[in-house]
Amino acid sequence: MKIVVRPERIERAGESALQPRSHVAASLRLDFERDAFSGRTLLAASHQESPLKVVRAFTVEDGAALVHLHNVSGGLLGGDRLELAVNVGVGAEVQVTTTGATRIYRPRVDALAALQSNDISVGENALLEYLPDAVIPFAGARLSQRTSIRLAGGAGLFWWEIVAPGREARGEIFEYESVEFVTDLVAAGRIVAAEHVRLEPKKRGLASLGRLGAYRTWATFYICRVGVRAGEWLEMEKEVREVLGLLGRREDVLWGVSTLTAHGLVVRCAAKRGCDVLPGLQEVWRVAKWRLYGRGAVLPRKVN
Amino acid sequence: MDSELAELRLLHLADSALPIGGLAHSFGLELLVAAGLLGVRELPEFLKGFLEEAGFLEAVFCRAGFRLGNEAGLEGLARNWLALNERLSARKPARESRAGSGSLGRNFLAAVGGLGDFALVREALRASKETQGLVHHSLAFGLGCGVLGFEEERAILAFLHSCAASLVSACQRLLPLGQNAAMRILWELKPVIVETMKRSAGCSVDDASCFMPLLDWGAMEHPALATRLFIS
Repeated sequence: MKIVVRPERIERAGESALQPRSHVAASLRLDFERDAFSGRTLLAASHQESPLKVVRAFTVEDGAALVHLHNVSGGLLGGDRLELAVNVGVGAEVQVTTTGATRIYRPRVDALAALQSNDISVGENALLEYLPDAVIPFAGARLSQRTSIRLAGGAGLFWWEIVAPGREARGEIFEYESVEFVTDLVAAGRIVAAEHVRLEPKKRGLASLGRLGAYRTWATFYICRVGVRAGEWLEMEKEVREVLGLLGRREDVLWGVSTLTAHGLVVRCAAKRGCDVLPGLQEVWRVAKWRLYGRGAVLPRKVN
Repeated sequence: MDSELAELRLLHLADSALPIGGLAHSFGLELLVAAGLLGVRELPEFLKGFLEEAGFLEAVFCRAGFRLGNEAGLEGLARNWLALNERLSARKPARESRAGSGSLGRNFLAAVGGLGDFALVREALRASKETQGLVHHSLAFGLGCGVLGFEEERAILAFLHSCAASLVSACQRLLPLGQNAAMRILWELKPVIVETMKRSAGCSVDDASCFMPLLDWGAMEHPALATRLFIS
């Protein structure tokens, strides 16, 4: 871990204080393998640099390994450069969640954006379920997140990302400076989804109908299993659409689903209230897991 | 080619009445209107956002297509062409919009191919057909304009203008939008078109961002609409 300590003005609930502040360059690497004897997935190796931590891997009832990503500093500060690498070995099954929302703090004026990079590899016939809490960019926050996901033959993926408008409870809506999400999803060597989003609410208003309109929280959910035929994805699109139709009124939340160019589906959500998003994602996950794997989704136990 | 002739030919190819199927697609607008999310009053702001986001993304890809047609030789064309189209497909989450863009692009490029003997156009169409890959409209427009020797900036402007004109035309069929009001809306979008064209100049296809969750929703859920005027 490389830590640079220098004073920074941190604002809390309208008051300011001069406090020491660190911005860090740290990485967390997790390698999972399937134990051939027990059929369980084990955290075979990990490399952890504070503030990124995983306490241990828990065994889920279906034999998967569950880990909770924990940022012990509480969130990302300006200039932080955090790297996450997850490698799911052949046949292994892994759930990754977070201990809470990912907070993106207001940086110093001269600080670089916080940078989070995720490098994800899912091996043959392996499964990764990435089910984090929301990302909450505070007023003035600057974040750049880059994610690269590679799926091998037969690999499966349930991956969602939820982005809140800010600290809604204190009326902080779209007051961040910039948030960038770049996600590339490659399945069997072919790019099947790419989401490159850069939001700068002060330059281009997010409440424009061309963007979010009256909705505030948005989410993307990728559902993949490499090798499943295109026709099956079309059938599943219809099935998921029926489920989405029961999830709430359009006045409150919009749900959309579509097949990817191959090997999967994407579900999109735009909601007026953040609390409407997670239950909907979980419902879609249940339906899709059953359809693709013939078994139910097991909600990750939370440690907080 | 002298500049007057080039200008005329570009106007011809960018005309929203060019018979490539543009009138059959709303790219998600139809559902936004049906759901009551988009009306005449909101249209100017919506179209401005459209140009700043989706228009920007397509302009960046249109430039990439133009440069293939203008600078690249036959060698390596197929590989680069297919990679660009695959990359743009991945950027389009809604399958109907993806297919719609693919249909317009293929028709456009075939139309250009019918105007003369253009080896690059033939090769691009052959490669896409052989791999059953999509030919996206922005890339096809760019490639065609590059091959025909138009000026790059003019080509991007013309492409963005034709996209905006097509959407306004779709709105005239979906909304109580009269001809004069439609003309005024399109007229007032021109500064945004110019700005979007300029912004696209310094951006690579990997860096081009786009955020239109409402339109994405409209396009993704369009297949579920019971009565439809448009294919997408």
